Amino acid sequence: MSTALIKLDNIEKIFYTEEVETHALSNISLTIDKGEYVSISGPSGCGKSTLLSLLGLLDTNTSGKYNLANHDVSDISKSERARIRNMEIGFIFQSFNLISDLNVEENVDLPLSYRKDLSKNQRQALVQDALAKVDMSHRSKHFPSQLSGGQQQRVAVARAIAGNPSIILADEPTGNLDSKNAQAVMDLLDKLHSEGATICMVTHDPRSAEKAHRNITILDGQVISDQLNTIHDQQSLVG
Amino acid sequence: MIIQDFNYALRLLAKKPGFTALTTLVMAAGIGLSVYMFSFFNTIIYKDLPFQDGDSLVLVSSSQNGKRESNGINLLDYAEVRSSVSGLSEFGAYQNASVNVSGRDGARRYKAIYTEANIFAITRTKATVGGGFSPTDNLIGAEPVTVIGYNMWQNQFGGEPNVIGQSLPINGSSHRIIGVMPQGYLFPNNTQLWLPLKVDYGQITRESAQIAHGIAHIHDSSTLAQVNQQLQVVMQRLELKHPDTNNGISAYIDSIPGSREGEAYSVIYSMHIVAVLILLLASINVGNLLLSRAVERGKETAIRVALGAPRSRLISQMLWESIIICSFGGLIGLLVLAWGLTITQSIVATFFVDPPSFWWTFGVDAYTMKLFFTILISTILVTGLLPAWKNSGGDFNSVLRDGTRGALGKKAGRLNRILVISEIFISVTVLIAAGVMVVAAYMQSNEDIGADIQNTLIAKILLSDDNYVSGEKKVQFAQTLQTSLAKGVGIEDVMISSALPGDWSRRTKFLLAGKEYTKDNNTSYPRANYIAIMPGALGTLGVELKQGRYFDSSDSGLEKKTALVSENFTKLHYPNESPIGKQLRLSDDDPADWITIVGVVENTIQGSREDKHIPTIFRPFTQDPRQQLTVAMHMSADVAKVTDTLRQTLMSIDPQLPSFQIETYEQNNARFTAPIQFVSSLVALFALAALVLAASGIYGVMANTISQRTQEIGIKRALGASEKTITREFMITGFTQFLIGGIPGLLAGCTMGFAMSQIFGTSNLAVFIIAFIMTFLIGAVVMLATYLPTRAALSMEPSEALHYE
Repeated sequence: MSTALIKLDNIEKIFYTEEVETHALSNISLTIDKGEYVSISGPSGCGKSTLLSLLGLLDTNTSGKYNLANHDVSDISKSERARIRNMEIGFIFQSFNLISDLNVEENVDLPLSYRKDLSKNQRQALVQDALAKVDMSHRSKHFPSQLSGGQQQRVAVARAIAGNPSIILADEPTGNLDSKNAQAVMDLLDKLHSEGATICMVTHDPRSAEKAHRNITILDGQVISDQLNTIHDQQSLVG
Repeated sequence: MIIQDFNYALRLLAKKPGFTALTTLVMAAGIGLSVYMFSFFNTIIYKDLPFQDGDSLVLVSSSQNGKRESNGINLLDYAEVRSSVSGLSEFGAYQNASVNVSGRDGARRYKAIYTEANIFAITRTKATVGGGFSPTDNLIGAEPVTVIGYNMWQNQFGGEPNVIGQSLPINGSSHRIIGVMPQGYLFPNNTQLWLPLKVDYGQITRESAQIAHGIAHIHDSSTLAQVNQQLQVVMQRLELKHPDTNNGISAYIDSIPGSREGEAYSVIYSMHIVAVLILLLASINVGNLLLSRAVERGKETAIRVALGAPRSRLISQMLWESIIICSFGGLIGLLVLAWGLTITQSIVATFFVDPPSFWWTFGVDAYTMKLFFTILISTILVTGLLPAWKNSGGDFNSVLRDGTRGALGKKAGRLNRILVISEIFISVTVLIAAGVMVVAAYMQSNEDIGADIQNTLIAKILLSDDNYVSGEKKVQFAQTLQTSLAKGVGIEDVMISSALPGDWSRRTKFLLAGKEYTKDNNTSYPRANYIAIMPGALGTLGVELKQGRYFDSSDSGLEKKTALVSENFTKLHYPNESPIGKQLRLSDDDPADWITIVGVVENTIQGSREDKHIPTIFRPFTQDPRQQLTVAMHMSADVAKVTDTLRQTLMSIDPQLPSFQIETYEQNNARFTAPIQFVSSLVALFALAALVLAASGIYGVMANTISQRTQEIGIKRALGASEKTITREFMITGFTQFLIGGIPGLLAGCTMGFAMSQIFGTSNLAVFIIAFIMTFLIGAVVMLATYLPTRAALSMEPSEALHYE
């Protein structure tokens, strides 16, 4: 039986700028179960990144209800949101967003350093484990500027998974990569999903969306389609 | 192309009027304040005297135990200097004096000098009417002659050409006028009468030789230091030859304006440093603001590079902004400083009873303009060249490729840290130095001089006429004046003294009975202020009696020998016993002339407030009458009425005696602290400017740095960093920068503070407290400048921060 990790009820997000109201999201209701691999796609400006920001508690919804792991997070304090982001969510960004002054190891350690329940040794073990998963252990002392785009995104993936989050939120993870590196990153996400990770990915690349097991399409801030990816069902049937 | 770049820079500046106004005003403050400070001290200390060869004229003075003295040199020592020192020529000597000149409308007091005949030749100035002195005028017994000043000629003689040969009664004796000096000639210092100095070198002994100021021209091939070395050798030789009189005595030369620097050189150097630091602070601020703009325009620059713009062209474009801002700011600064120098002239005049030194003409002179342009060019280079060079040499490919601030942002971040640290260092240094000055001025202004000064009019009288040669005559005059004035309209009490508490007084070396002194009297004899005061005056002035008794009628009589001493005298010389009944003697007096201490009064300060530790010996005027006396009158009428009473009373006693320096006791007291108050106000203005510049500058740099790190803040928050964690992280960074800049600033500020405290007598504890407060103040500024932009960055939602450009 599947367990709902994320449950959105009538989520609405309105941006107010100089007396202009922009309805970025309207009446979004959806559920993401644990272990799912979901893609969110749609044209530019449709609200998919806004939705991902809400899911990742990087922004607050104007109205509606958001349950994460059976907890209502619609109206929690900033510090509680920070704690949940740290413990439950792993982010992968299009432009990698590594801190240029920190080396690979320190970048991966960054979210762990905000946790008080981990000793330095435990953190180090988690960092090495995460780097090994993305095959970047040999570059642990390098700085981001010394890495290629693909390598930087692998480090970003390691940072996202180091703390064993409940869900990985990826915002156009292959948007800044060439096809070869994009394929490598998608394979990495596939591998993580096969190991049990829940992944929610925003993309407008159909090839990346194909990798997901469920495709949600958004247009003008509304979900216009939410369907399982039949290719994977067929593959599993073949398998 | 240059016009195109200039127009482009103008357009950019016009687009952001707030930025343009801010940077222009910062530069105006920086250039205006620093040029003012340099110009002010140049006029006072470094400016050449306004006559031919004025730059080579030096003053020869003595020093005692390494401490430079300003009262001149023993004439016999000077005679030795003349014959032995090779780097100097055209030696002359003069003594300052005040003289009474009788005229048709009564007597007046004038500043005069007794001088050797060659004074006008040395100063390359000829009399405008008549001539100067001949060497025979200096001989004992020669006919009394005088050369008068232009103003005196105009005022006393209506500018008549036949003034030559006329007789002028000076100090009661007739002098023949032989010349009139040109307008504006007041050498050495606001002098209106020149009289021959008559010395019989064959008759005087080393002990009895007079003190005079030596002047000479230094050769082009010699430096002050070289001549001073020679002087030391000559004086050491004299010291060996005459140990009794010359122990610890040496001599030195200095320029005449430079000799005014005296002990205050550490203050003057500190203020020059402060001026440079202010300019640096302003330059850093403007440089940083221009750098921020350059960073903001990184993408535009990258596009220009991509389109083939050469680096020189990029630098030129960015430099134009700096040229416009600095030039316009400099112009405003120049106008304000011209106004400041004009009002300085009138402010400085209040420091003195007589007009200030004649070469003290404050204004925008050649030196000021030269300095202004040097500073202007320097600021253009500092504020413009560095940001232009930095920005034109970045990794433009990366800027164009990913649209982030990447490499340029990082470089700018490093530069920003250096700028903040520099601003912290400078502001802490300046504020500590300024704090010490302001506190010293406040303490000096509120120093208890030992007397009540309210509602009192004071005036000086010089008994220089031949009629008052004897002590009896002087005592008789003082007693008559006191009795007559006491009956006068508007006067409650009359107090007569050689010097009032607070005013300059004679200083003397003395011996205490029963104590051993070595022969080298220059170093072993103690010193004290030495004042003659009419019995009853101390109590009336409010100088409290602490032990024994005040002077009374029993102390009258020139043969009697009694004294009162101040409390600090007792503390210094009789710490564990009463001084009453103890005896002292002046070092120059007859060995049998022992003076008995009959009382102890509270401490008084005589002259400079920094000399408050010097004890005072009071003698009854009736035992030890003096040539110059000060009359203090408690008033029951207004100043004009009392002044009138004084003049009429004096006229009735002796019409040939003028009273001068008539002012209230409060005005007299204020004049002693006016210079330090003025300088401290100036420094306080600098400190305020430093604080505003530093606060705005540090905030600007911090806000810019944190703004550039908004994306980083977004990333960290996305990864789970709480607001508290991020705030703490930035506060620690800010505090670290504060420590890196603040600790050296604290050390530099304390060094300047301690140097100043040596002059002003500010305690070490006070310097430490000031240093702590000022450092804390800048620390608070830094922390606030870090906290506010951090809060602003944190007020964004993380998603917004992540996409912040």
